[in-house]
Amino acid sequence: MAECVFILAAFTAPIEIGTDKMEMLWMFPVIAAIAMVYKATKMRVLFTKKYLIESLVLFLTISGFMILAIIVLNLLSWLITS
Amino acid sequence: MTANANNRSPAEQGMWLATVGLAAWMVPGAGHFIIRERKRGIVLFCVITALFTMGLYIGSIGVVNWESGRIWFYAQILCSPAVGIIGNFTKSGGYDVYGHPSEIGQIYTGIAGLLNLLCILNAVYMAYCGRGEMIGYEEEQESNG
Repeated sequence: MAECVFILAAFTAPIEIGTDKMEMLWMFPVIAAIAMVYKATKMRVLFTKKYLIESLVLFLTISGFMILAIIVLNLLSWLITS
Repeated sequence: MTANANNRSPAEQGMWLATVGLAAWMVPGAGHFIIRERKRGIVLFCVITALFTMGLYIGSIGVVNWESGRIWFYAQILCSPAVGIIGNFTKSGGYDVYGHPSEIGQIYTGIAGLLNLLCILNAVYMAYCGRGEMIGYEEEQESNG
């Protein structure tokens, strides 16, 4: 019972998240969820292995483009401000 | 399962599609589950619920607030009508919600809701095409044989 109360209490206050570079890692769970849901709705028949591979490929593709966008935007900001 | 999609009257078909859509909104993945796309339904339920719960854990339940974050609330409520109950708890503003965790929490819960909208539309479309009845049957035969 006490554990349940502690678990519920964890949802009543935000966790500590800073503003450094490592906080960009929070984008990966969202990307994984988007990739998994998209592939689950897109595939005609859901074979486990094929589904996991296709979800992983989509996850890596989106992550790759996000990282590329981060690099390009940082480069632009550095060029403008320097 | 009720009668095949081809044998239903337009009124029955409309009711069936509405039932699938409503079930998909009530519980993420339930729409797929009732059209016999069970594996798909379970995957969607786990992923969407995990994303939404993670958003609440990161930003606190205060991220669901239909007074201070109305636009986000419209996206969040697509996840399930149960989000309205959370909104009712938090409308007094008694829960801490601030800064970066609030943004991330809102993004997570909002995206979970929008992903569920995709699932609702997909479930209704599959029910309209009668796909669950055909492909679900094939899958069952495959797993049994």
